Formats: sequence, C-alpha cells, structure tokens
Amino acid sequence: MSYLEYNVKYVPTGARKILYLNWPLILLITAAASAGFLMLYSVTGGSLRPFAWAQMIRFGMGMFAMLVIAMVPIWFWRNISAVAYGLSVLLLLVVELFGVVGMGAQRWIDIGFMRLQPSELTKITVVMLLAAYYDWLPVNKTSRPLWVFIPVMLIMIPVALVLKQPDLGTALLLMIGGGAVMFMAGVHWAYFGVVITAGVGMVAAVFQSRGTAWQLIKDYQFRRIDTFLNPESDPLGAGYHITQSKIALGSGGWTGKGYMQGTQTRLNFLPEKHTDFIFTTLAEEFGFIGGISLLTIYALIIAFCIATALSNRDRFSSLLTLGIAMTFFLFFAVNMSMVMGLAPVVGVPLPLVSYGGSAMLVLLVAFGLVQSAHVHKQR
Amino acid sequence: MIRTPLRPLARILEARSKGENPDSIERENLRLRHEQMRDKARVRAEGRLLVMGVMFFCGFMMVGTRMALLASTEPEEPQATVRAAQIISQRADIVDRKGRILATNMETNHLYAHPHEMVDPVQAAKELVKIFPDLKEERLLKDFTSKRKFLWIRKQLSPEQVQAVHDIGEPGLNFGPRETRIYPNGHIASHILGGASFGREGVASAEVVGVAGVEKVFDEFLRDPANGSQPLQLSLDLTVQAATEQVLAGGMMLMNAKGAAGVVMDIKTGELISLVSLPDFDPNNRPVPLTKGSASDSPLFNRSVQGLYELGSTFKLFAASQALELGLVTPDTMLDTRGPLHWGRFRIRDFHNYGAQLSVTQTIVKSSNIGTARLAILIGPERQQEYLRSLGLLDVPPVEILESSGAKPLVPKKWSELSSLTISYGHGLSVSPVHLAGAYASVLNGGTRVRPTLLKQSGPQHGERIVSERTSAQVRSMLRKVVTDGTASFGDVPGYQVAGKTGTADKPKPTGGYYKDKVITTFASVFPASDPKYVVIVTLDEPEDRMGPEPRRTAGWTAVPVAAELIGRIAPLLGMRPEVEPAALGEVTLAAH
Repeated sequence: MSYLEYNVKYVPTGARKILYLNWPLILLITAAASAGFLMLYSVTGGSLRPFAWAQMIRFGMGMFAMLVIAMVPIWFWRNISAVAYGLSVLLLLVVELFGVVGMGAQRWIDIGFMRLQPSELTKITVVMLLAAYYDWLPVNKTSRPLWVFIPVMLIMIPVALVLKQPDLGTALLLMIGGGAVMFMAGVHWAYFGVVITAGVGMVAAVFQSRGTAWQLIKDYQFRRIDTFLNPESDPLGAGYHITQSKIALGSGGWTGKGYMQGTQTRLNFLPEKHTDFIFTTLAEEFGFIGGISLLTIYALIIAFCIATALSNRDRFSSLLTLGIAMTFFLFFAVNMSMVMGLAPVVGVPLPLVSYGGSAMLVLLVAFGLVQSAHVHKQR
Repeated sequence: MIRTPLRPLARILEARSKGENPDSIERENLRLRHEQMRDKARVRAEGRLLVMGVMFFCGFMMVGTRMALLASTEPEEPQATVRAAQIISQRADIVDRKGRILATNMETNHLYAHPHEMVDPVQAAKELVKIFPDLKEERLLKDFTSKRKFLWIRKQLSPEQVQAVHDIGEPGLNFGPRETRIYPNGHIASHILGGASFGREGVASAEVVGVAGVEKVFDEFLRDPANGSQPLQLSLDLTVQAATEQVLAGGMMLMNAKGAAGVVMDIKTGELISLVSLPDFDPNNRPVPLTKGSASDSPLFNRSVQGLYELGSTFKLFAASQALELGLVTPDTMLDTRGPLHWGRFRIRDFHNYGAQLSVTQTIVKSSNIGTARLAILIGPERQQEYLRSLGLLDVPPVEILESSGAKPLVPKKWSELSSLTISYGHGLSVSPVHLAGAYASVLNGGTRVRPTLLKQSGPQHGERIVSERTSAQVRSMLRKVVTDGTASFGDVPGYQVAGKTGTADKPKPTGGYYKDKVITTFASVFPASDPKYVVIVTLDEPEDRMGPEPRRTAGWTAVPVAAELIGRIAPLLGMRPEVEPAALGEVTLAAH
C-alpha cells in the first residue's frame, strides 16, 4: 500500500458543516413549497390568510428543524433510530386509546399547538430503523429467513396499528417504503416475489369477500374503489372528487387559465382544494406546463437524493436516503395519480405543497436526515 | 465456491523461513476478501438501484403522460348515466268530471339533524320544542349530543313550520323536501282515491306510490312524466259525491245502520257519478288495516264494491225481465202464488200471503218470492246463469280501483234447480252494490250492456244487447209501479219518476244459517222512469227503524226513504228539472192493470 493510494478521509465539523449542506436540495424543496404558497394564496382568492401564511410559518419552522437535524452527526440518528421507532409506535398506540376522532378515523393526538399524526411520524422511523438494522446486520445474513422475518415484523407492527385506525393509504405507504429499504439492502428477489404474489392474492380475496359475512374492508373503501374504476357512474356522489378534479385539469389545458383565474377551484366545485386536491388548482391555473414543472422539481429532488446516496459509503446513510426518497416519491406519485384518476382516492397529501402541518413537518425532518447523511459522509 | 484460506500453510511456512510476520499475510487476504464482498454487494446494490430508478422513471412517465392527456382533452361536464339518487316525484293530479281537484301534491319538508354540524344543540332543542310542543327537549338534547351523524326529527312540516325552524338559525338542522300527496276534500271519495304513501325514500326526496283505489290502479300513469301535467279525470262529480255521502251518513244514523253504500251511475255511459261507502276515512291519514276481526268492519272496507251481499228481492227484476224477453210470460200472465212452494225438502214462503194468483207485474210490485220462483222454474238454471253472467253479476266488477279485483261474486258451487229458485229472489248469490248498478242499468236503459267505470267517458257505451227496448220499457213500468203502489212507496220523489225495486235480505251468520234480526236492505232505482238517466243504489247494513212500536227492518222502511232523500238532493245537482209524468207511461201503467 503506497502513500499515493492513501485517501484522506474527511468529515466537516463545526460551522463548516453549513458549507457542506446539499444546497441544491434545499433550493428544490423551497421551490416546491413556494409553489404551495402560491396555490394556497390563490385558493383563498388572493389572501394570505388563513392558509398561505400559516403554511409559510410552518415551512419556516420545518426548515429550521431540518437545519438543526442536519448539523447533528448522522451516527447519532443511527444510534437513536430504535428509540425513535419505539416512540412512534407508542404514539400510535396512544392515538388508538386517546386520539381525537376526526372524519371517522382516529388519527391525531392534540399536543397543544398542533395536531400530531403519529402515522406520519412512523413513515420516517420505520425507514430509519430498517436502515440501521441493515447497517448492523452482516451482509451475508441479509437473505436468511430469520433475518428477513425480523424487519418484516418491524414494518407490520405500525402497519397493523395504522390499519386499525383505519388508514389504508398510510398503511400501504409504510409497507412499500419499508419494502423499498429491504429491497435496496439486497434481500433476495424471491421474498419480494412471494410478497407481491400474496398481495395480489389478498386483493383478489378482498374483492371476493364483498358482501359476504367475512368482508375484509369497509364499505366506504369498496365505494372508493368502485368510484375509481368508474367515476362517471356517480358524478354527484362518490365520484364527485375525481370527476371535478379531472374537469379542472382538462380545463387548464396546456398553458392554464392564468394565476388566480381557475374557475373550477375558485367557484368551489372542488372539494379539499387546499389539501389533497391542491394539484388540480395548480394544473388548472398553470396548465400542463405548471404541472410538469412541479413534477420536474420532484424528480430533481429524488435525483439529488439518489446521487448523494450513491456517493455515500456509509450503509446506514445511503439506505436511509433512498428510503426517504422512496417515501417522498410515493407521496407525490399516489397523490397525483389519485387526482388524475389513476388511483383510488386515498387521503395522501401532495408533499410540501398541500396545506397541513404534520406532513410538512415530517417531510422536512426527513430531509434533515438526508442532509445530515450528506454533510457527514466521508469525503 | 472454493475459498482462499486466510492462512495458506505453504506461504506461512515460507514467510517464517524468511523471518517475516505471517500475520500480514492473513491481513492481506482478509482485505482482499472484504474487497471482493464489497464489490459483490456494490454490484447487487447498483442492480437494485437501477430497478428502483426504472420504477421511479415509470412513475414519472405515467403521471406526466396522464397529465398531458388530461391537458389535451376538452373538459366536458359528465352526464350521469345512472341517476340512482334522483327519484321522479311529480305525480299527476286527479280531478273529477268537471276538473275539480280530488288529489294533488304539496311540497312539504322532513326535518332532520346533523348533530356534528350543530353550533348550539341546547338552544336548538329548546327552540324546536317551542315550535313542536310534542317533542321532548331532553330526548332531543340527548340525540343532538350523541355520536349519531344523522337523525330524523319530524316528518311533513308545513311552510310556516319550516320558516320557524329556519329562524332558529341552526346549521345542523336541515330539510329534506318531500312531494306529499294531499286530498283537499278530506274524506270525500276516500274509498275511490285510496291513498298514497312514500315508497323508496332518500334524504333529499322520496317516491310517492299509490297504495289503494285509483291511486294504485293508475300508479304507472300518475307517475309517468311523459303525461306532463295532464291530470287523471274521473267520472265522479264532487258535488254529487259529497251530497251522497251526506245523505247516506244521515240515513245511516237515522236507521241505526252500521254501514251504508251508495252508487249513482249514469245509465247510458256507465260513469259512476258517486260511489260511497260508509264509514269512510281520510286518505290524507289512512288508518291502518285491522289486525283482527272481520276486514269488513274497517273503515277501509269499500262496501259499495267489496261488500258482497245477498241483495234479496232486487234480483226479482232479472227473473221478470228474462221471462218477458224469452216470451214465456207477458206482464199480465197470472202466476200461481199459493204458498208455501215445496221444492224437495225446502219450502219457499212469502212475507205476506198474496192470495192464489198474481200477475207478473203484481209479483214484482208486491215482491212475491213464490211468483218469482215460478218464473225461475219456467226459465231454468242454465238460461238463468247465462243471463246473469251477461249482466256481469258473476264476474269481478270492471271498476278501476284496486279493491274491485277482490269482489268476485259468491256463486253456489252447483247451480241446481233449487239454487236457481233462490237466486231468482236474491238469495244464494252475493254481489256488490256496484254489480247491481251495472245490471240494473243494462236492463233498464233500453237493454244494452253497461259496465260501470270510474273514468270520464265521451259518450254512451254501446254494449251488447241484453233485452229488447220493449222488455226494458215493460220492466221499467213495473218498477215505477213498485214505487207508486208497491213496497217502495216512500221512494217517490215528485217530478223525478223514481222507479225501483226493494230488497231485504237476512244476513248470513258466519257459522251458517241466517240471522233473524240482521238484514241488508237495498233500494235499486232508476230515474226518471220514462227516459232513465241515472241508476241509484242505496244499501244499508243492519238498519233498524225504531220509530214505530216494533223495530222495522224492511227496505221499504229503511233504504227507500234514504234513497228518496238522496234522489231529491242530487237530481238538481245533476241538472235535472222536476217534470210532470208523461201520459204515454201512464197508459202503459194503465194497460198493466
């Protein structure tokens, strides 16, 4: 081993860390959030209140949290990931016992200044714990049945609790996010094959169970699937969301109607226009160009995450970054698909854009972890 | 896989011989092995990352393509293909022959609550109790603060009540509009109209369906939006119907009857001008059917159509008219009326002893059972049955209300000679008053068949011929004599030449046999006798005139005065002036002596 082959391993310390932040990622996140502010300003008819201003404040708080997390070494986060996971599962249990009942499902804990959704929190902590698990686990054991069984259990505990709330959308996101980390960690193909086959079988079973005594999902969930498969069947009832949203998207055309000119959204045809369906407002006012721009921003965020994961030799850091990228991808892919009638309506917000505290905060915390991994990688 | 040993013996021995530290060899080999492993893991990870990258790419492409597709389509407001939630509620009106409203719709509202949307449940409950004193405040408050998402509070609010509830200003109180069927005339024509109720019911609207009467029979027509606002026009005349109900109600009370039925029918067109059954009900608030006892005791029971009774001597007209028509007798043929008439084990008696012989006319005028039975013997059972069938007395009446389908006449199982004798004077065959009206009209209107109907007709029914004009005129003059010098002497209404036949029939016991003191009395009449326009049937159920020293139950004392009062009331309403009896009929009457 010659002297010339010697690599200088360097990790920034102190205030220098700020220079090593992934600034392009921060800019992209801010750009996406700004699109959100614009749209919230528009849906209230040109007013900061009540949505835009509150959203800006939350974004500011979230950014601060992100920077703080980014400054803390990534190995600290790895070390506490088990604790974080345990805490979030505990919170889910608390929700089960003392949660505020909203929209037919127990999803929130009122912690004074905001309503916390522990299910949002678990989306990060599951990814964190799995990344730490595979960092700890010797590579040659990755595909042994026992060592596959453990992470599957770790995913299924919060999934079961979330399903009980019931929140099918979050449960699916958790499963796919966790599964993605396992996939990236190199678990053997066959396991995924089995799970996917079983999943297809389950879906078939669910449809078979309709109307029988052992019906597996609730009637409202069946109605959502029906509406998804044929929204025109009931445009004034259950298909209303999707139909109106598609009208808004279509009326936007290629270039849109112009900022604050969207009639579908301004005239209150659209439900949930500031939360889950905010993308329709954007597409109506800025058209295809606006929509594809936002999609490009999201794609770039994912790309930067993959880039930093690839260049990171720390297994925990890269797995965590990829897991978070996957979760983020699922967020906007599911939301956009739902709005455009490609997927059933499940309550998933458009990340960084939709009005709402929990999701915004949780995503910025997640990006804080990505930043921390980026800052503290060996250069 | 063959692994390179970490400490190959040959090399270690070689190193030892050279005096080098053999551990470095182990370190070297370990490093190589780790590098191999890392490379393998890296290749695998890169493969996995590629798969994920492809997935991401597909996701982006899918979303982007969909966005482009949606952007390029013209927005189109979707039309509902299946309008399951929409219920067509506009129901056509029902009007009488002069266009007066019998049934129409009114917009009412059902009041319901969304407790989770309520701002001030306490205040709301308090205010609601002020508007609807029969609601319980504690109960409302309990409901409003419960976890229920939806509850009905009260049905069918008037517009004033709706306004009062609006004035509470509670956003959690909402209204479900209801097209409600209303019958502005209350109980008048209740049995004909039947009633309507809500069928399939949603929060925002409900379907109105007919449950009885014409509402049920013409349900399809009334609901069909293709008919536009065209109402269903009945043959009824609201004023005549009201007068009939009033007179019958008075008569029923005076005669201590438990029920009454009345039919006024146009003799040529078959249009039912009024069709009454008492006691009646208010179709706006239909009573529930009786769960025990006889259905005929319910006010819902339509005696004029559903009530199948042995209508007694009124049937004698059919024997007389058929015998005349067949040429077996003339009005002046003398019949042997010595009683009792023995037929096997049975004996047929008359109410009074009318002597040894009576002419056919006198048989009808005095209402001799024996005389009529002699006519039946001449006619024979087959011909009698055929004749009664041609008059519609053996089939369900064609009247367009739901209840008529159940009014199948009760006929003897075997139409024996004896049956034909008893049926000739009205026992052994049970029909309804509306049957009798149709048969009387067919015989007395000149001899052509008339089928009773509730729909307004444009002209006379030209039915098949039953009897000749001549026979028809002959029996009319007989019936006129029943009123002028026979059993129906209270039935004369000056100027209207009432002609009719009385009938008093003992009521059958449910256990078999007949009651001695319970009768059905009927007066079946036409007026004016010389050129009949209307048939009037009055039937009283268990009447008893207690004004004399002994209770009198015969039709002449009970049904006839009520019918006379009725004809006196309705004839002017029907636009008929009292007229002097024409001489021609007087001559026929004289000739019959």
